[in-house]
Amino acid sequence: MFSNRQLIFPTAMLALSVGYLVSALSLGTPIAESGLTPSFFPMLVGAAAILFSSLLILQQLRAPEAPDRPRDAPGHAHLWIVLAIFLYILAFRTLGYLVSSTAFVFALIVLFSSFEKPAQKALIALVVVGLGYVMFQHLFGVRLPTPWG
Amino acid sequence: MDFILLVMNSFGLLLDPLNLAYVVLGFVIGTIFAAIPGLTATLAMALLLPLTYTLNVETALMACASIYMAGMCGGSITATTINIPGAPSSMMTALDGYPMQQQGKGALALGHAAIGSMFGGAVGALLLIAVAPFVAELSLLVKTTGKFSLLAFALIVVVIAQRGRIPQAGLAACIGLMLATVGLDAMEPVTRFTFGNANLTAGVDLMPVIIGTFAIAEILVQARTPSDTTAATAAAGKHKLRRRDFIPPWSDIRRIGFRCYFKSCLIGYFVGTLPGAGGSMGSFLAYTEAVRTSPEPETFGKGNPQGIAASESANNAVCGGAMVPMLTFGIPGDPITAIMLGVLVINGIQPGPQLMSDQAGLIAPMLAALLFSAVVLIPLTLYAIGPYFIRIVSIRKDVLYAVIALLAVVGSYVATYSTFQMFMALGMGVLAFVLRRNGFPVITMLLGYILGPNLEEFLRRSLSLSNGNPMTFLTNPDSLFFVLLTLVFVYFLVIRKPSARAGAAPGL
Repeated sequence: MFSNRQLIFPTAMLALSVGYLVSALSLGTPIAESGLTPSFFPMLVGAAAILFSSLLILQQLRAPEAPDRPRDAPGHAHLWIVLAIFLYILAFRTLGYLVSSTAFVFALIVLFSSFEKPAQKALIALVVVGLGYVMFQHLFGVRLPTPWG
Repeated sequence: MDFILLVMNSFGLLLDPLNLAYVVLGFVIGTIFAAIPGLTATLAMALLLPLTYTLNVETALMACASIYMAGMCGGSITATTINIPGAPSSMMTALDGYPMQQQGKGALALGHAAIGSMFGGAVGALLLIAVAPFVAELSLLVKTTGKFSLLAFALIVVVIAQRGRIPQAGLAACIGLMLATVGLDAMEPVTRFTFGNANLTAGVDLMPVIIGTFAIAEILVQARTPSDTTAATAAAGKHKLRRRDFIPPWSDIRRIGFRCYFKSCLIGYFVGTLPGAGGSMGSFLAYTEAVRTSPEPETFGKGNPQGIAASESANNAVCGGAMVPMLTFGIPGDPITAIMLGVLVINGIQPGPQLMSDQAGLIAPMLAALLFSAVVLIPLTLYAIGPYFIRIVSIRKDVLYAVIALLAVVGSYVATYSTFQMFMALGMGVLAFVLRRNGFPVITMLLGYILGPNLEEFLRRSLSLSNGNPMTFLTNPDSLFFVLLTLVFVYFLVIRKPSARAGAAPGL
């Protein structure tokens, strides 16, 4: 059953729904003398989510063959982008907007193209970050972080 | 009548250089985003959302209105020139626009698309201005039980409109509702699903949800999608467009007929008022109607300007229609109106029946900008930058996505100066990306998240008022009306199963 890759996601959703319902149950009884309690609605939502997840699993089990997905670009660029955003957020306060953003924009340009012409791409990154600084800091009055606080 | 006068007075705000600059800039950005396949006006608006904190609310809403209008007509550019609709709502435009391009009449096709958009946008906006105050008054008749049934109706219709993937849509809506339940309970001092994290006590903020769902997820999707701009680059060099070629001859417009324009506008407007239907369904129905009533139906799909006119009139009229439930009931009909609702909420404006009477002065400039965008900016943009339209698609994607990522991540910081919101935006982006990759429509998740708090509140209040008796939803006439309406939609969309498939755009 679990060899079918199409089943992994609906099963994960079912696990999430069950986890949510269990957390909702821990909030207490759904109906009290004064009326409905804060656990009533989450229980309803959890039950509906379990129903839809189960329907999805049934649908996948009945499907004769997995439908072809559109071809993806090779590599794991999306995972690198998630990592780049994560590191950028971590560095944002510590290194400040200018340094962290320049490295981030340069990394994104490289991830969406290649490592060719790095000097040109670094220059583009600097220009983009500079324009962003003017827009956020001066045009919209946003206080961007700096390494000195 | 007062509201109409208020809208007319609001045109004066457009004389303010700052307001005009934001409206024009919004329109240009919306056009560029809608023209580039893979990018949408929804993404443009999601990126603008953080900036609304620093703008006054009228200006922000005016800019949103112009982005919305531009988003509906901008998709016709690539639909016509390279047969790739820049936005899902321009799918039907490609059927006749691209054949005209192949016949060397690409500029003329774009001209017809602009006139259709102008007509549709204007009629949709005028109907909105005329109808919204009455709908707002009618909505005062809807009491607590009726409000719950109405919200449930909206959510159910959005789910069942995703024909062929109802379980996915239902589960996505549940995920949205789950997100809405995080934080302090609205009626009792109890925190839910915060797992001890103080940052979650106030709930999941709207800003990271929108930025994650529409901006970060889009970047991740684009990173996984093969990018082929060969056709666009080749077309950019091949076709030279001249300004005078964009103006359709009067004989062409007479041949299309005002009846066709107006009928398409009405179809688009009414489709727009339905939750989850959107521009693609509006243009599909109007196109089908144009083919059905045409004396020469065999010419459609081979370069008939009537097909372009019907499709574009309808999808731009959707803008006016979709704002009716958003403004009067707080129910967004599509992703863009969902973000506009976010702009209202961020600025402390609660959509609903009272909005049109108590804060009409804030809404009127937005409707004036919608009309202004349709009547002035659509033709002006075509004339001014029309010859350069095709070059939009050959913009360097690496730089474009890097800029979008920067605006998205820094934008999520702007609201609270908190890196927690940035992490939330990333988390929501990854969630939306995974959902989209598995065929889940994220618009239902967003609507579940937006409608969830009110849905819960009205459910609990209704049952408290009726001492826990669920029959209250059938014994109150306003609630019964929406229950019956839900059943009608379930019958037509699920049980009867129409053969024609026109639904919301895949992936959204």
